Amino acid sequence: MSAANREPDPVLAMQLEARPSFLSVVTGFVDSAARAFGMGREETLKIGLAAEEIFSVACERICPGKPVDIRCLDGKYFMGVAFRFPVSALDMGALNITASARCDREEDLEETGLILASRSVDRLRIDPDGRNRVRLSVEKDKSYPPAPEESPAPAAFRGTVATATPDGETLKRYVIQASRLSPGPLLPDFFRYPGKVVDMAAAGDVQAVVAADETGRVAGGILFRFLTERVVEILGPQVFDPPATEKVAADLLDACIARTARTKAIGLVSLTGLPGPVQSQFESLGALTLFGKGGRVSERPAWYRLLHEDPGCVVWTDGALGEFLQGEYGRLFLAREIREVRDLGETRSGSSIFSAEVHRERSEAVLRPLWPGGDLAANLERHVRFLGEEGFLNLLFELDLGVSWHASLVPVLLGRGFRPGMILPFAGQADLVVFQYHGTEP
Amino acid sequence: MEPNLERLVPACVREFEPYIPSKPDHELRNLYGCDRLYRLNNNENPLGPPPGAQEIIRRFPPPLGAVYPSGDSYDLRGEIAAFHGIHPDQVLVGNGANEVITFVIKAFCEPGDNIITADRTFAVYEWVAVFSGIEARVVPLKEGRFDGPAMLDRIDDATKVIFLCNPNNPTGTYWSRDTLVAFLEAVGGRQIVVVDEAYFEFVEAGDYPDGVSLVGAYPNVVAFRTFSKMYGIAGLRIGYLAGDRNVVDMIRRTCVVYSVNAVAQAAALACLRDDTGHIARTRALMRQSRAFLREELGRMGLPVICGEGNFLIVKLPGSDTLAYRKLMREGVMIRPMTGFRYPNHIRVTLAGMEAMEAFIRALKKILA
Repeated sequence: MSAANREPDPVLAMQLEARPSFLSVVTGFVDSAARAFGMGREETLKIGLAAEEIFSVACERICPGKPVDIRCLDGKYFMGVAFRFPVSALDMGALNITASARCDREEDLEETGLILASRSVDRLRIDPDGRNRVRLSVEKDKSYPPAPEESPAPAAFRGTVATATPDGETLKRYVIQASRLSPGPLLPDFFRYPGKVVDMAAAGDVQAVVAADETGRVAGGILFRFLTERVVEILGPQVFDPPATEKVAADLLDACIARTARTKAIGLVSLTGLPGPVQSQFESLGALTLFGKGGRVSERPAWYRLLHEDPGCVVWTDGALGEFLQGEYGRLFLAREIREVRDLGETRSGSSIFSAEVHRERSEAVLRPLWPGGDLAANLERHVRFLGEEGFLNLLFELDLGVSWHASLVPVLLGRGFRPGMILPFAGQADLVVFQYHGTEP
Repeated sequence: MEPNLERLVPACVREFEPYIPSKPDHELRNLYGCDRLYRLNNNENPLGPPPGAQEIIRRFPPPLGAVYPSGDSYDLRGEIAAFHGIHPDQVLVGNGANEVITFVIKAFCEPGDNIITADRTFAVYEWVAVFSGIEARVVPLKEGRFDGPAMLDRIDDATKVIFLCNPNNPTGTYWSRDTLVAFLEAVGGRQIVVVDEAYFEFVEAGDYPDGVSLVGAYPNVVAFRTFSKMYGIAGLRIGYLAGDRNVVDMIRRTCVVYSVNAVAQAAALACLRDDTGHIARTRALMRQSRAFLREELGRMGLPVICGEGNFLIVKLPGSDTLAYRKLMREGVMIRPMTGFRYPNHIRVTLAGMEAMEAFIRALKKILA
């Protein structure tokens, strides 16, 4: 799981000032990088469009005339473009995905700003990058052919089934079978593209263990990847030999744990479904609701297990969330010192920033507070409204209980139709609490 | 201006997750809401140090707190050498056996080299290698034991050190003298073979080898011993290595002098001189508590891995890390084994009967 032995991803970088006259330089740079990285024509156009929008916003509102670093990264299965801006309190609000470049013209809101950039890419996120700098990243995946339709000829498994890190061909065979076995809405979209998973594994962004018999026939597999700094997400295990489900699933999970137990990971989380035979090794974190197209609604259960002793920690919250936290920490036997944050009338000013990570394939936007301000309620209102208009059916808001000022968002979220869904232990500076928007006014 | 840690810190260090030790007992009692805490997680000796060492600790003259200790544990090395029948220059004393692991890896390895050990064994060999930029090749145990042939298969020109833990923590399995000698013959002196004997004094089996006695015939052998387990001075942090004079001379170059404090050196001397039957008393207590736990856990239908040493492993029907948290609420602290690559297993230190009974009561409660 260590990135220490990985070859660094190829990066092309430039620095220039945020001036409208340089826009063509930026688009030319991104276009050339995309071609050099082997992106297709359509993907090149789309990530170029996103870069154009972002640079325009930078010129107009974020940091006009200031230096901007732009880095194009070849992630093997995607291309990323990261902009690093200096920011000041005056222009922070422009970094919200819903901010408009011309905020005085209400009718233009939905056609301007970062939300337009987000439409043409697969992922967009904003992160703090050192003191007084912010990194805005967009990623566009390469195109891959879908998994072939034909089914493998049924055959009996021969001899002992053993687990191992697969080569590319074995990995593809596992992914093809996994996508057929559980094509539900929870399985990430990349399971439909075996070649993409091979590239993701080669890039070090996902690891795999596959169970195969003595002839090399695949009996099951599991994928896993770092979801946050200290939490590893598992995808699977999937087993294709029903009579041996219990043993193969347990062996795959053991192999996954063997590869993660001595890394920086502190816990494993499953957000895409966990086979019954291994559920006893995990703890249920609860379930979010997955809203699908056509009014489809399904459960999205989450499972968790720590890899080490719980070191305990301090968490900060608003009193309105106290009962939920007490209940969950008691149920999960997690040692936490809950400290309540109170509003004692201190002045809050300036524009808050929420980071927005959008996943269009599952119609989901995950919001995270990045910067405090005096406009939390108004900012949340803008995000809910705009993301709803963009067609996002699943709005999540993650608060880090290790960051005291995040607690001030609790009453704001509860007052705008968000409900606490689950706790993700150690997924932030402390635990994360995930709020889900249910679209109902209080 | 903030330092550019991305540039300053080697990737092998940046990527390494620091080990976070348990919080102090008073913090844990507060966090988990328990009045008392039975510590069954670190394989400590419930009888404490031998009487002579206790006396040293009790009567250490405060003014000597201002005086540096012997920088290379001069007197203690002499006593250890006499104990084993070797020369004092064949001994290096460290601030716990963990420090001598670091000495050995620093002495023999550089980036591009590798060490070989098992996947389910004491983690510190692997950790020190990884954060030093050295590849750690971990070979799966076979039937709970170090797999000699598989380890030999992993040797290549870049292999510098092979770490054996004998008896193994956490399985308690051991290699007999014949097995160890056959392995050393196969290695043929091409690599350093560390035999970590932290639990040496607990082993009563007749065919269990003394690694130090093999140094004469196999100068590539380096044996580790500690005063933390049987001798009960874990709080003072002291352990040592013994090996061939030329090998130890190389290791000494990476050894930090003055790292072992004066109380630890004097208490360790007293441990070696103990004539009160400390080892026999401890072994008797281990036999009693081991038999009690095996019977109780057997009644509960829980599989047990129990070998040499002052610990055993219990396989649980669910997550070991969850069991840890539940047991902490009951005032019992054990070691979850996921970090040792034994998911759903816990390691329990053999201790006094009061603690053993408290553990069984708590385990029955959380599994009910």
